[in-house]
Amino acid sequence: MSPSVLICDDSNMARKQVLRSLPEQWKTSVQTASNGAEALTILRDNSIEVLFLDLTMPGIDGIGVLQGINKLNLNCSVFVISADIQPEMQAKVKALGAKEFIRKPVKADVLINHLQQHGLL
Amino acid sequence: MFDINAMTSLKNTSKSALTEPVIKQINIQIANQINTGVLVLDAEFNIVLWNRFLQIHTDKDAANIIGQSIFIAFPELPERWLSRKLSAVLQLNTPSFCSWQQRHHLFELPHTRPITTDSEFMAQNCTFLPIETECKHKHICILIEDVTDVCHYQGQLQKTLEELAQMSRIDGLTQIYNRRHWQESLVQEYAKSRRHTKNLSLIMLDLDLFKLLNDNYGHQCGDMVLIEISALISSLLRVEDIFGRYGGEEFAIILPETNLTGAMELAQRICHSIATAQLKYNGQAIKVTVSLGVAQLSEQTSSYEELITHADLALYQAKSQGRNQVCSATNMATN
Amino acid sequence: MSEFHLTEDQQDCLQEIINIAMGQASDQLARYLDTFVYLKVPSIESIGAKDLLQTLSQQKNTMAVVSQGFFGYEGIRGEALLSYQEEDSGRIADLLGYEPDELSKDEQLIDISSILTTTFLNVFARQIDNQMSYNAPKLLPSVQNSLSEHLQEMTFNWDLALKVNISYQVTDYSFNCNMILLIPETAIVNIKHVLDRILAEF
Repeated sequence: MSPSVLICDDSNMARKQVLRSLPEQWKTSVQTASNGAEALTILRDNSIEVLFLDLTMPGIDGIGVLQGINKLNLNCSVFVISADIQPEMQAKVKALGAKEFIRKPVKADVLINHLQQHGLL
Repeated sequence: MFDINAMTSLKNTSKSALTEPVIKQINIQIANQINTGVLVLDAEFNIVLWNRFLQIHTDKDAANIIGQSIFIAFPELPERWLSRKLSAVLQLNTPSFCSWQQRHHLFELPHTRPITTDSEFMAQNCTFLPIETECKHKHICILIEDVTDVCHYQGQLQKTLEELAQMSRIDGLTQIYNRRHWQESLVQEYAKSRRHTKNLSLIMLDLDLFKLLNDNYGHQCGDMVLIEISALISSLLRVEDIFGRYGGEEFAIILPETNLTGAMELAQRICHSIATAQLKYNGQAIKVTVSLGVAQLSEQTSSYEELITHADLALYQAKSQGRNQVCSATNMATN
Repeated sequence: MSEFHLTEDQQDCLQEIINIAMGQASDQLARYLDTFVYLKVPSIESIGAKDLLQTLSQQKNTMAVVSQGFFGYEGIRGEALLSYQEEDSGRIADLLGYEPDELSKDEQLIDISSILTTTFLNVFARQIDNQMSYNAPKLLPSVQNSLSEHLQEMTFNWDLALKVNISYQVTDYSFNCNMILLIPETAIVNIKHVLDRILAEF
């Protein structure tokens, strides 16, 4: 049983990088968004179980998406994948409910490991 | 002392037959023959290696240097600043640099150049490199290049450039400002007095019957007169006044923060001083007089060129009224 | 479109690599400076020679430009130019942890530039399995009009400039500078190869 997945990143390459790192059986049910606004629309209209979220994006950024998820009271596991890796930023996204902070560039073994830790695999 | 890894990878690709011990020997010899100081520190800034260049130039005993803190071995180093710089190399794993242009030298080493320079010490470019080895602690390599000659020639170039800049402002014969520089200064002074609503006056002056002087005594005499007159006028001016040669025998003086009364007084003094000056050429007394036109910047003056025109017209009037006298642009207007 | 232009995919790939490099570099800087460094997403533009001169000439009150050459394997090389505005140069000594009387203003600018350039490019190089060496940084003499002269007098003909606007904010004050990476023709071809290799992995 594969969960519904959303990958949100303004970089096409970064989205592909996440997609490639996902477990094989998940790859069939993946949607993508290239900015925060798009992601929030998809999150509202579909039941997304796992979100891989970039922080630095034009318009509504990753922090904005996390706040939106809290406001909409959505039940969705968020994994932040970001290049901004300072401890302060990591603490901030955790406080906003993100399950994990993963530094870019994302690696398959690291991602799988985190998914297992949170009981998603 | 050198990065063997780079050399061995080179060996693999270029099919060279050199073995690692041979490469090591070559490295050591290069390090000891190179004309650059090489100093390696551990993470606590103690000296762990140095090359022959430094041994020779520091006149320090190797036995005392190795293992000693760099700040004890070289007490001339600015400790707080350099510690911070070295920390950056270790923490950020990036190279750092120090140029002679910012700091003439870090290490007090005698220079080896057969040229005389201002400094008794070798001018240096220093490079600080992070070094990673099998050893779990990082090291820092300091390269000390002797740039005394670069520093010396740069200094000479700078001096020459300054002389050239000075020459481009000065009239070769009279050693006062040339017309181009004088006019640039007027543009600036004009803008300044407009901005700060300060007074500004101008004196244009011309040697009387200069052509006759040249015809009677020759051009060398004319040149002598121009030189003497320039020196005489210069001696009557304030430092802020700007005195230039405007044309052949025509001169001009910019008088910042001076009203017409002040400018007229000065013009009269110049006129009188020249008329009574004892000039001699080949033992013969020469009589020289000048005519002067004075103008003050007024609210109606619309440009610096107009100010020159006013002074020029006053000068023309002084000439036509019989020379050896001063006229002002306002007299003229009222006339 | 010339052969030096990046395709959309290449541009995206490069932007992502630069973002990651900037992120890691500012993390390193924060640790070194012992303060939180807030980093805005660097905006990256790739521009041709003519356009760069125009951009630079429009840039008013630039007070200093520091230049530093870099070179790595696979023919990746170029020159980094960091430009500062008057108002941003006041507290660099503070930021670097020096006492103001320990070093001149020129040296402060050279130092911060070298740190920004080398931390950033080291991480950038690591991303593309490369390793960089650097020339000593130089402060360009009197910036007024000299920047375009400098660009024309450079040791190589550069054809593409990557303009990376970096904006660092450090706890209670901020300073901004522009980083411009000038890259010669041959190096662009090499960068494109590297980007294609990375893209091919997807």
